[in-house]
Amino acid sequence: MLKSTHRAAGPANSHEPALPPGWTEHKAPTGHSYYYNAETKQSTYTRPAAPSQTHFFIDHTATPTPHAQVHGPTACSFGPPQRSEYGGSFRGGLSYQDRSRRQYQQDRPKKKKAIPGCEPWILVTTKLGRRFVHNPEKNESFWKFPQDVLLATFEMDRKEQEEKLSVEGEGPRAVATAEPRPQLPPLQRNNEADQRAADDSDSYEDVEVTDDENVDLEQPDAIEGPTKKQRTGPVEFNEEDIAYQLAQMGQEYGLDPGEYGNGEDDEYDTGLPLSADDSRALFYDLLTDHAINPYTTWEKVLEQGHIIDDERYVALPNMRTRKEAFTIWSTERIQELKEQRAKEEKKDPRIPYLRFLHEHATPKLYWPEFKRKYRKEEAMKDAYLPDKEREKLYRDHINRLKLPESTRRTGLKDLMKSIPLQHLHRNSTQDTLPATMLTDLRYISLPSRTRDPLIEAYICTLPSPPLDPSAAGPATSDQSEADKKAEEREKREKALREREKMVQEEKRKVMGALRRGKEVMRDEEREIEEALRVSGREGLRAYLTEMEANAAEGQASS
Amino acid sequence: MPAIRSTGRNRKPPPAGFEDIEDTLLEFSNKMKDAQSAPHEGKKKHETLWPIIQISHQRSRYIYELYYTKSAISKALYEYLVKNNYADAALMAKWKKQGYEKLCCVKCIQTKETNFSSTCICRVPKATLERGEGEAAGGGDGEDATTAVAGGRGGGGGGGGKVIQCVNCGCRGCASAD
Repeated sequence: MLKSTHRAAGPANSHEPALPPGWTEHKAPTGHSYYYNAETKQSTYTRPAAPSQTHFFIDHTATPTPHAQVHGPTACSFGPPQRSEYGGSFRGGLSYQDRSRRQYQQDRPKKKKAIPGCEPWILVTTKLGRRFVHNPEKNESFWKFPQDVLLATFEMDRKEQEEKLSVEGEGPRAVATAEPRPQLPPLQRNNEADQRAADDSDSYEDVEVTDDENVDLEQPDAIEGPTKKQRTGPVEFNEEDIAYQLAQMGQEYGLDPGEYGNGEDDEYDTGLPLSADDSRALFYDLLTDHAINPYTTWEKVLEQGHIIDDERYVALPNMRTRKEAFTIWSTERIQELKEQRAKEEKKDPRIPYLRFLHEHATPKLYWPEFKRKYRKEEAMKDAYLPDKEREKLYRDHINRLKLPESTRRTGLKDLMKSIPLQHLHRNSTQDTLPATMLTDLRYISLPSRTRDPLIEAYICTLPSPPLDPSAAGPATSDQSEADKKAEEREKREKALREREKMVQEEKRKVMGALRRGKEVMRDEEREIEEALRVSGREGLRAYLTEMEANAAEGQASS
Repeated sequence: MPAIRSTGRNRKPPPAGFEDIEDTLLEFSNKMKDAQSAPHEGKKKHETLWPIIQISHQRSRYIYELYYTKSAISKALYEYLVKNNYADAALMAKWKKQGYEKLCCVKCIQTKETNFSSTCICRVPKATLERGEGEAAGGGDGEDATTAVAGGRGGGGGGGGKVIQCVNCGCRGCASAD
């Protein structure tokens, strides 16, 4: 933002008017150029303008309005008449820095776009982001849009904005707010202030600018609202800044917010709403997704800290609600788990024990020896299988192991035959054998290298499982339920994302306001400084008379 | 403090559902062990017990909530836990009563052994607690309530940010109204 005021002095000099007679340009050791008048022994950094030449810059002659006629000649007698790219500044006076920089800015068309609805007309955006309309057929251009073109442009802008997913309804508001914009009292310091006031007022005039005019660019402020954002000018002066400025001015003039605009209340009513239930559900999703154990404590969950990084964590506003949500979620989840477990068949504690026996039991060890040897094993410590039962199983198993292999083989075959077809069928594998088979001693009495081929051979002879008509029904309903849930969840997440975006927007706005405020303060300071410098002891009047004398002198000498 | 479970022959398995909460309980017992073996240098005499009482309170709370608010464990398991000293039955009995929902420890409502037959300072609701009142009512059991941080009586502005901690268990306030 703070560009040097002297930056443009080098290359832009060629466009500047010649110095008035008596003035010479010099380079300071710092690289700044300054001007010296040998007659009056004055030196200054600001380039003294030759009064006669400045008339060239403003050209209201195309369609001279009464306003321009009144202000034109007087306004242009001092300083460069090139307009600010943002009309009247938010503070009434333009900053001095802006003014001096503006002197060197050059604007030129950057991109053009056909306006749908008004065919020959083209909307041209300049380098500084200002816009005018051009009619290639009649070869004419206007800063002030003709009525029909204006409407079409609004329509186009609105569409663009919608495409950009911008939430503000800018088009209509800009119109509403631009009109009652208060006229600022000119700073009666010198004529430049007058000219600025003129700037403010005649931005709404019907000023036509002809094609060949490339220096004096007039800003059609009233219709610029929607495109402020796209500007690429040196000062980023966008739509929110205007809102701020309006509020500021309204305060200065003691206006109600309704008088200068319809406030900010209509800004956030768009987008998907994120209700309390939704945010709660989002939090549940978060807990489910992170596979939080519902039996843990909330403190433990926080300690682990996985969930904190997730953006859904902030769906709920504070810790208390989060804790409540966790309590509810864990209650529900535990119930779910209970139901699920009830549905599942109970795991028989004998299965791991028998598997262990199959691997380790030998007729060489008595039960007490065996127990002592493997007392550290998990299968031997299982509390759900009583010791007596374990001993009995061991003894029976050892007795069976002592039988001849053929007997054990027939025993296994008998076992397999006794199992109904819906449990053991062609699709069964070694891992999906029914529990009735796994808990039987006959299953483990053969070593696995003879047992496994036997079982596989038997399974191959079996037919496919009988079709179960009851299985199909609930499955589809489950499917649809799951779909519904997924859909709801997607909606919630979208809402969260949208809220996130809104928060970002809000943050940006606050930052913008802050920046703007700082700028205002800086400008004010600068203004005061300038005023102090100018009206030292002699006062403003002395300064003005001196200026006039200078001007007269310059004219006389030219 | 739960009893050490025997691995002997006559060991009865815990009721169903114990394996779900076993991990959390194990964490609590590990924390408890750490607190018990933590050095006591630089601590006041009454402060040494604070972390132990805190952990015991947390564990009791955990079991209480599992049973009464989440109904996640069966009655058999709850009784098993109480019997095996995983939870403080006397404290949980108080939590069921109105006005004692957040009670920190049973000693804090014991009025018999205090100087003014009053409860502990942590039982006083924060709203009724005035600045500087902490010293007057704190502890009340003969020990000086040095833990009540003096809030600078003469200081300006009613911040009300007086921090009190009771002598018995280091509680900062367990009134139901807080």
